[in-house]
Amino acid sequence: MKFKQLLLYLLQSFREERTVSAPYHLLKGKRSGQTIQDVGLFSLYAYFGILPKLARTRFDEAIDELVQEGRLTVYEDGYYMVHQTINEAPPYYDGWHYRGHEHVFFARLSLAVQTLSQQQAGDLRFVPLQKDEAVQQYVRDFLRWAHYETGTIGRVLKEELMLVCSELSEQQAQRLLLRLSGAHVTGYSWAQLALFYDETQLDTQLSFVSVLHTVLAHIERLNVPLLQALTQHIKVDTVVTHSALQTAQLYNEGHTLEQIAQLRRLKISTIEDHIVEMAMSDATFSLAPFVNEQDVANVQMLVEQLQTRKLKPLKEHLPHMSYFQLRLILAKGGRSSC
Amino acid sequence: MLTEALQRYFGYTTFRPGQQAVIEAVLRGEDVVAVLPTGTGKSLCYQLPTKLLPHATLIVSPLLSLMQDQVEQLKKMGERRVIALNSFLNRAQKQHVLATLSQYEFIFTSPEMLQQPDVRAVLQTLPLSLIVVDEAHCLSQWGFDFRPDYLQIADVFQQHGRPGILALSATATQQVLADIKHYLRLNEPFELIQSVDRPNIRLMRERFTTQEEKLQWAFSYIEAAKGAGILYTQSRKKCEHYAQQLLARHVRVAYYHAGMDMYDRQLIQQQFIAGELDWIVATNAFGMGVHKDNIRHVLHDVFPATVANYMQEIGRAGRDGEPAIAVLLYAQGDEQLVTYVATEDIPNDVQVDLYTQQVDPYDIVRHGAASDTQFRVLHYWLQQKNAQQVKHLLGELRLEKRKQIEAMQQIVSTAACLRQLVVNAFGQVVEEKPTECCINCGATYELHVVMDKKAPLAMDVNWQMRLHALFPL
Ligand SMILES: [Zn+2]
Repeated sequence: MKFKQLLLYLLQSFREERTVSAPYHLLKGKRSGQTIQDVGLFSLYAYFGILPKLARTRFDEAIDELVQEGRLTVYEDGYYMVHQTINEAPPYYDGWHYRGHEHVFFARLSLAVQTLSQQQAGDLRFVPLQKDEAVQQYVRDFLRWAHYETGTIGRVLKEELMLVCSELSEQQAQRLLLRLSGAHVTGYSWAQLALFYDETQLDTQLSFVSVLHTVLAHIERLNVPLLQALTQHIKVDTVVTHSALQTAQLYNEGHTLEQIAQLRRLKISTIEDHIVEMAMSDATFSLAPFVNEQDVANVQMLVEQLQTRKLKPLKEHLPHMSYFQLRLILAKGGRSSC
Repeated sequence: MLTEALQRYFGYTTFRPGQQAVIEAVLRGEDVVAVLPTGTGKSLCYQLPTKLLPHATLIVSPLLSLMQDQVEQLKKMGERRVIALNSFLNRAQKQHVLATLSQYEFIFTSPEMLQQPDVRAVLQTLPLSLIVVDEAHCLSQWGFDFRPDYLQIADVFQQHGRPGILALSATATQQVLADIKHYLRLNEPFELIQSVDRPNIRLMRERFTTQEEKLQWAFSYIEAAKGAGILYTQSRKKCEHYAQQLLARHVRVAYYHAGMDMYDRQLIQQQFIAGELDWIVATNAFGMGVHKDNIRHVLHDVFPATVANYMQEIGRAGRDGEPAIAVLLYAQGDEQLVTYVATEDIPNDVQVDLYTQQVDPYDIVRHGAASDTQFRVLHYWLQQKNAQQVKHLLGELRLEKRKQIEAMQQIVSTAACLRQLVVNAFGQVVEEKPTECCINCGATYELHVVMDKKAPLAMDVNWQMRLHALFPL
């Protein structure tokens, strides 16, 4: 799926209830309360932070193009209307869990592949193409752990890659392999791949993130111990902001929201934001201390009926509930299954 | 004896000209100034002594990329006791490196790091056999890359009982040499000054009335050229644009500039070294760390702002000693462009005043009155000098840049021998002109090239084949 298609899809998912900038913050993975709650409200976990380096100018360009093509109208107050329905779902992403770390995984993988390919070619005098010191250190440790000196793990890694690639589409596997380098094969730059696939560089990078997320999901599932060893700390399952993490600690120690607010000298509303973040990030988080089951069912039914996730109309129908309670239920209820 | 060590540690059987004399002086513990052109095995002058002397060698290097390249080259040769102590390290890493510094044989660092008290403290107690100051011309105000932080290197080490200093420089004008000896407080140093001249590179030049004519000539040249080449240009945009035009002419080409991912840059470099690409269109970001001996052509779309840059960039051609061609292209009006780019980062007097008048000086950037680079320059100098002195200094800097550009303009316009002019700019003379010297001495474009083309695996082969190519076993 091309970048502009994805933007339209996301604008559609925001149900025209946010400004046109919302997809930008989502794709960048902005760690603000608003963006993070929207991820839950509109069920956009997959796309959170899949383009952390996206430039605002590039985003604005794409929006302008969509407007000129008559597929989108942007109003003066920043709100918008989408004129074309995107029915095609985007390919697999799991931004919420990887947050840009997939590129660290790729860096490790590519260095491991380069090293083991050189080993098979009998020439270990080479300059690593990955320059990051942390990545180099990780791969050195990995190779030692895997008993690299036996000279056989190149073969094993090849088999594991074969297994994972056969789960991908032909083109996905090709895209992955075209970025890798070894003794007699050199990988291709984004510019070269974009030319080859006849797309923009941004589209190429976007496809690649999807390939990596798919690869990571298969690695988790399949029996591929070497590849699994390259994925350490790539997946995150904690609350997003550092501040929320501190709140989570106090909450898990048994403090009430009021006590936490006092201890941390923060407003109670801020602590509530943190609790909502926790509800979104932690699959085991229990809503029981805050709402009863009947309330949850009511809210979910109302969302279906009114076809909205806007807080205001929901609150009008359920005046006895607080905004905090509503947000909690929406956050938890919107969680995607993957 | 020495040749035996050379063979044992580096696998070479003979020294390149000048290397042995420098190494012998270093081993005697003397201070040494060595002027060796790039690509002639400068690094060996400290690498071999380090293997033979009892303690570690400290190498002070002004450019992070240069440092990184040297570290990588050593590691590639199987040297493990190499460390780079630079600003890439975070606090914890730096503490760890400092605590274990005595384990290393080759310690690379930058002049900025040397200013930090904890680094100084460790280095002052560490037994060292040799101190190397790389790119030592950076400490001369008369050099093209003056780096004020270089002036303090000598302060780090006591005059008595310090190890010998080896100063490596690319320039040998009297002024630069005098500055090097003075600021490093060298003790009757042994001097070796080798010619910067590269006789196997023909110095060509083509002048045009319009940009369009110039480009058409360049593209036709590249299309017909045999062997690998680099087309240097000024901006990232131009790199991409030219590469696109050349691709349309079926040239095996890619662009390279600092705006690309680090990994992408490495891939392009690797393709070029492997002979999968014939041409690179690049900004001056390309070159450091490109160890490819058989580059046959270097073209300059616009002339570089200094003779030193020009020499360094054309010096990437013909490292194998075989004939190579450098073409300096010129179209009317290029000098304005070069002057603008070379001086845009130097703050003017108004900006100096603005800086001193603000409560928060960074406001001048926020209000769009200065660029980030200009701010950094102002910030650096106004910490140590008053406004009047800084204005004077910046004026001199501008003048110096203009002088450098004028020197290049002379090369662009002269009817005399280009080689003599270029070599004179380094304070040297041409000993003997090669037969194929330069455009004004009647050199030709005829070049017999042994082709080294390698067809890479086609991009559209299936993934199984590519995986098998990576891992044949
Ligand atoms: Zn000549």
